[in-house]
Amino acid sequence: MANGVNASPGLSFPRETFQKLTPGPFLHAHLKRPSPIRPNGRLPEQQRTPTVNAGSLTHSNGSAVVRCGDTAIVCGIRAEILLASDLPYPPSEDLDDDDLIEHLGLLVPNVELSTGCSPAHLPGNPPGTLAQSLTYRILALLHSSNIIDPSDLKITHLEAQTDEDLPDVGPRQVKKAYWTLYIDILAIALDGNAFDTAWMAVMAAFRDTILPKAYWDQDREMVLCSPRLAEAARLKLRDIPVASTFSIFSTASPLKRKDQAESWILADPDALEEENSKEALTVVLVSKHSAGGNMLRVEKSGGAVLDKVFTATCVRLAEARCRELSTMLEAV
Amino acid sequence: MQADRRRINAPAGGTAPPTFTFADHPDLLRRPTRTRKPDEHRKIFLRTGIVPSASGSAYYEVPPAKPAPSTGSLVPTSSSLKITCTVHGPRPLPRNAAFSPNLLLSTHVKFAPFATRQRRGYVRDASERDLGVHLETALRGVIIGDRWPKSGCEVVITVLEGEEDGWFGEGREKGGGWGMMSVLAECITVASAALVDAGIDCVDLVSGGTAALVKGEGGEGEAVVLDPAPAEHEVTAACVVAYLQSRDEITEMWMKGDAGDSTEGLMDQAVRAAVMSRTVLVEAVKEGLKVGGDVQPVNGAPKGGEGKGKDVDMTG
Repeated sequence: MANGVNASPGLSFPRETFQKLTPGPFLHAHLKRPSPIRPNGRLPEQQRTPTVNAGSLTHSNGSAVVRCGDTAIVCGIRAEILLASDLPYPPSEDLDDDDLIEHLGLLVPNVELSTGCSPAHLPGNPPGTLAQSLTYRILALLHSSNIIDPSDLKITHLEAQTDEDLPDVGPRQVKKAYWTLYIDILAIALDGNAFDTAWMAVMAAFRDTILPKAYWDQDREMVLCSPRLAEAARLKLRDIPVASTFSIFSTASPLKRKDQAESWILADPDALEEENSKEALTVVLVSKHSAGGNMLRVEKSGGAVLDKVFTATCVRLAEARCRELSTMLEAV
Repeated sequence: MQADRRRINAPAGGTAPPTFTFADHPDLLRRPTRTRKPDEHRKIFLRTGIVPSASGSAYYEVPPAKPAPSTGSLVPTSSSLKITCTVHGPRPLPRNAAFSPNLLLSTHVKFAPFATRQRRGYVRDASERDLGVHLETALRGVIIGDRWPKSGCEVVITVLEGEEDGWFGEGREKGGGWGMMSVLAECITVASAALVDAGIDCVDLVSGGTAALVKGEGGEGEAVVLDPAPAEHEVTAACVVAYLQSRDEITEMWMKGDAGDSTEGLMDQAVRAAVMSRTVLVEAVKEGLKVGGDVQPVNGAPKGGEGKGKDVDMTG
């Protein structure tokens, strides 16, 4: 590196050089001090405070920008209409209402990282492994959390009685179409912990989403929408789940005795910490837990360093984070 | 069309954008009018250094004219441009690449799916590739490429919100791609700021400008306006230039439509628009130097954050 030349004389390099050459030992050197502090200046259990900005995009039904440290993610939600008559496999009558969204695929999230947000994801290639896995994790979480009421997405029509009907049957509610929500998530800047930030951006954008009043026009046989803002309805969310990710940095190796290994939990990891930790744990909690449990999803990958004590610590931190962020999102 | 297996696709059956009916709400269908003077540029917000992991970056925005004029309509009447640009490099070319005595520049322009009134796909289409080529021509003329042999540099632009091709009330077919012209001018300006932020040597700051020949009030006569917003005018011809003010050079010119006799006048006005956006560009570049100037080394090392910079003993 060129800036090694004008550093102080002797055999010392600036810290950026160490960080680039030996990122693992660099991180370890920070953590093994008597009062561990991460290279980014945070305490091991300290999370970054996000900032949320909703409704800045003109052409979306709902949008949000979430910036968390050096990670910035934009989410835009566009609503389009899926006609019930176009469905190749219409839902059967006995399908549970909560499964409707998944059955029809009414939520279409996509994470795009190749926007030049980091040198590791340059455009011109199909979405990489990280982008694909983020997309599927978000889709799975959207389906399992049931935060959207399927009745918000239905466009129904009160069909008048015809001559063929039995005389005592009243007008029928017919599902004519469904709203499909395209959730496009673009990373503007990426510095670790893409999942938490992307999920938060999706939640903030959902809270900002307004669906126009749509009705079936009998004469033109199509769905029409009213452009008037006063007639439109805001999408209601049943809950605001919050995701918290932790990296576990460990010195454990097959060459060492197990009791010599040291490990640290790094909450809300940045790119350097993510690359040098083998294990990661994501806890998704719901904020309103009247029915007892509040744990929506736990994902754990990597080695076997994480034990019960560490997991309990992570869940405790995630609970605090969930309280803090859900109040923040409710204020948006 | 073959489904993209790496992304989540639209539900089987396909979806259509909502059709809004203005028959019951004629008051909501109002064409925006130009409130600024014919030779006045819209306000620009430009800032460098927004993506810390890239060597250079910049963000460009044309904020809406007033603080959110609430029309009571769900259908937006106008767009407010938002563009981010990142520069990655200069960095060594891959080992298998042929020798190049110059810096290899590659540009990439992509609209976000929610950038325009019509939803866009994730794969670049022909118009986005075309914009990329125009941008490359504009930037190639300013970069001093022979200072970085065997290196490559990527300029990546994401348009978060684009310009409209015309007024939506006239139907979709009417637009002649006029919005692309403004977007290109803005791409040139923002890429120039990002190149400076990345510390890549250039002969001058290049800035983009647009001018258009529009039909006058009531469809009579023609007038030249700077920085047109196509929703506000009936455009008959438009011109984009990439202009180097201190050398009085043009590195890229793109003209579309039938300008007739006023071709030269149109170009002159586009150059004037470029000079106006250059003043904003110069301010943004100066500000970027002031903020990160003494902390940040030129070669893309991490920029100084608040808690950073404490040295740690690394022995043992």
